[in-house]
Amino acid sequence: MPEVFIDGKRYEYEGEQRLLQFIQDQGMEVPFFCYHPSMTAPANCRQCMVKVGQPVKDRETGEYEKDEDGERVIRWFPKLQTSCNIMIADGMVVKTQETDDLVKRAQKDNLELILINHPLDCPICDQAGECPLQIQTYKYGPEGSRFEVKKVHKPKRVQLGPRVVLDAERCINCTRCTRFTEEISKTHQLTITSRGDKNYPTAAPGREFDDPYSLNTVDLCPVGALTSADFRFKARVWEMNQTPSIDISNGKGCNIDIWTRDNLVLRITPRFNEEVNDYWMPDEGREAYKRFNENRVSRPLQKLDNEQVNSSWNNAIATISEQVDGVDKKDVTIIASPHASVEENYILAKFASLLGMNPPVFTPHVEKGKGDGFLLTDDLAPNANGCRLLGFEEKSAAGIAAAVEKAKVVLLLSDHLADRGIITTDKLKDTFVAVFATNHSETTKNADLVVPITTAAEHAASYVNVDGRIQRTFPAKETKYSNRRLDLEMSEGRLDRYGTSFDNWITEENKIDCLPLWRFMSELAAYKGMENFAYTSGREIMDEIAAANDLFSGVSYEAMDEQSGITLDKTKTTVKL
Amino acid sequence: MEYEFTKEDLKEIEKIKAKYPEVMPATLPVLWVAQNRFGHVEPEVQRLVAKTLGLPEAHVHGVATFYTQYYKEKKGKYVLDVCTCLSCQLCGGYDILEHLEKTLGIKKGETTQDGKFTLNEVECLGACGYAPMLQITNDKYINNLTVEKTDKLIDMLKKDEEPEYEEIEMPLRKVK
Repeated sequence: MPEVFIDGKRYEYEGEQRLLQFIQDQGMEVPFFCYHPSMTAPANCRQCMVKVGQPVKDRETGEYEKDEDGERVIRWFPKLQTSCNIMIADGMVVKTQETDDLVKRAQKDNLELILINHPLDCPICDQAGECPLQIQTYKYGPEGSRFEVKKVHKPKRVQLGPRVVLDAERCINCTRCTRFTEEISKTHQLTITSRGDKNYPTAAPGREFDDPYSLNTVDLCPVGALTSADFRFKARVWEMNQTPSIDISNGKGCNIDIWTRDNLVLRITPRFNEEVNDYWMPDEGREAYKRFNENRVSRPLQKLDNEQVNSSWNNAIATISEQVDGVDKKDVTIIASPHASVEENYILAKFASLLGMNPPVFTPHVEKGKGDGFLLTDDLAPNANGCRLLGFEEKSAAGIAAAVEKAKVVLLLSDHLADRGIITTDKLKDTFVAVFATNHSETTKNADLVVPITTAAEHAASYVNVDGRIQRTFPAKETKYSNRRLDLEMSEGRLDRYGTSFDNWITEENKIDCLPLWRFMSELAAYKGMENFAYTSGREIMDEIAAANDLFSGVSYEAMDEQSGITLDKTKTTVKL
Repeated sequence: MEYEFTKEDLKEIEKIKAKYPEVMPATLPVLWVAQNRFGHVEPEVQRLVAKTLGLPEAHVHGVATFYTQYYKEKKGKYVLDVCTCLSCQLCGGYDILEHLEKTLGIKKGETTQDGKFTLNEVECLGACGYAPMLQITNDKYINNLTVEKTDKLIDMLKKDEEPEYEEIEMPLRKVK
């Protein structure tokens, strides 16, 4: 196998590999700014300099030439090389900043060059705390500045597009953003204008940077030059918790990180998953953070004299029980939801079957022409395939409307049917409608009982995407009934760990009064005296599904975490869109 | 204002495109075609070039702004680029520049009101051997400038008489 020597240690490698990537894969580090594993390497930041040499071979014998100590004679490249665009070759000898002072000096001097015109505004810069320039200057850079002259000034606070703001002075011209629009989103909307110390990225004059994937450039930017218009100045990065999750705004199921502070979701960023979304996600998925914060149903609501009033959990349980018992089992329609998780849908189906009611039906939420073949899909719900795999009957909009009309009691799981135009609100008048919902909508307003349930940001549950891949979320946000310090699935940021309830950055308002559907249904089952129906977590429900349903065999939270999602048998998940 | 290429321009652009395996390298020469036609490559013209070549507007903008020889705004008919880099500076480049500022009544970087002259201060044009010098609209070099020679040039240009190309022998060539 071909070999390469890095800092005096021998490594074996296979295939074509970029040196910088290989070094990183071995757990070592070389500083860099412009390199990105999913894009081309133009080597224009010049930060990843290393010393590279090849052993000298005797042309006649094909043997490596040896010096008097018996070591291979190395012919070094005449100058330092950028490791990002140099390919590893057999026998290559590499010295990084760890073992070579010249490399160290080159990296330090390059940072000094990059920092000449970089403003010293880290204290008010959004990127501070997750800024490669800041981190690498700290690690490899010069200690002070030798430049006492005025810095070059460039445009600041330029609204490049509806979602991205540019501060040209901070830009180090790594061209990651322009390469993103050229190579990944292929809209070619950005370019570098001018040259020398006056250059910065911009859209063509008079044009907006309205790429549906524009916010990825904000993640890519190794400095604070491109910032999110929405997230700008909202939080320092070290104040937030980062929780892995799944994008619920469409059927692709992009892997994301949810960033919260004081139980408010402040931003959503993509999380690497080679199988699904690589490093990217659409802007629309990031907007979805508002669904977790705003317009939430908190406390059960009950309609009394045509007006919804706050109710109690006990009341909600008693009311549902009464209504279900009061009619013939066949007159109860249960509508499952592609917007809810596999676990929630399963619980509803199990409840129905134990009581001898009709099995749940559902209708997919599809908008034709929305998909782009990349990360946007026609399917606007995260879990239509989950409903199909659970064996629910898939109905057309008219079919659902007919089922609602026929029924005397409707149990509706978080699907805003009236808002989607599937049923009209006057159809709900004569029927008793109980909605398990996360957010207020026209549908919940017309319901007789609204039971608040947790969102994807508040529970651990799984979703099956359009490609039949099952992936799961983690609870990121506390409810009234969960606690970060007790729930080991929840992450704890600095403010949570070191804060007390007496600190002014901790409030109760942002905790929603809601329960996971399985908790509520378990309470309901206990009230009705049903046996074997007590669930405390999605984990045990998934284990039960995996044992009972062949299509889910082998699926568990542990397996999903280990493989970052499991692709279920595709032949069985016929995607009807 | 709507900019359009004439039929001859389009023919020339087709010829340029045929020279390269891809369209992208044609950006530079086609920008020249545009600048020769319209006298500048304002954003509108950049857009026209992008449309004609089927390239992203951002790319054409990036190329146009990279090179100072492309005029991104309307300029005078004659653009006088006066060199004030080291050799010209030592031989009186700034005197020429100031003299031109006085005679034309404009500051460097400005255009006269009649739209005839634009005066620029530029860095080295590679003619250090015959400093001080200036260049007219990306084309002719006027070398070994004196105040008198400059005045004569301005008079000529005002009458739209173009100066001749000047042939200057390199001093080394005389050595046999």
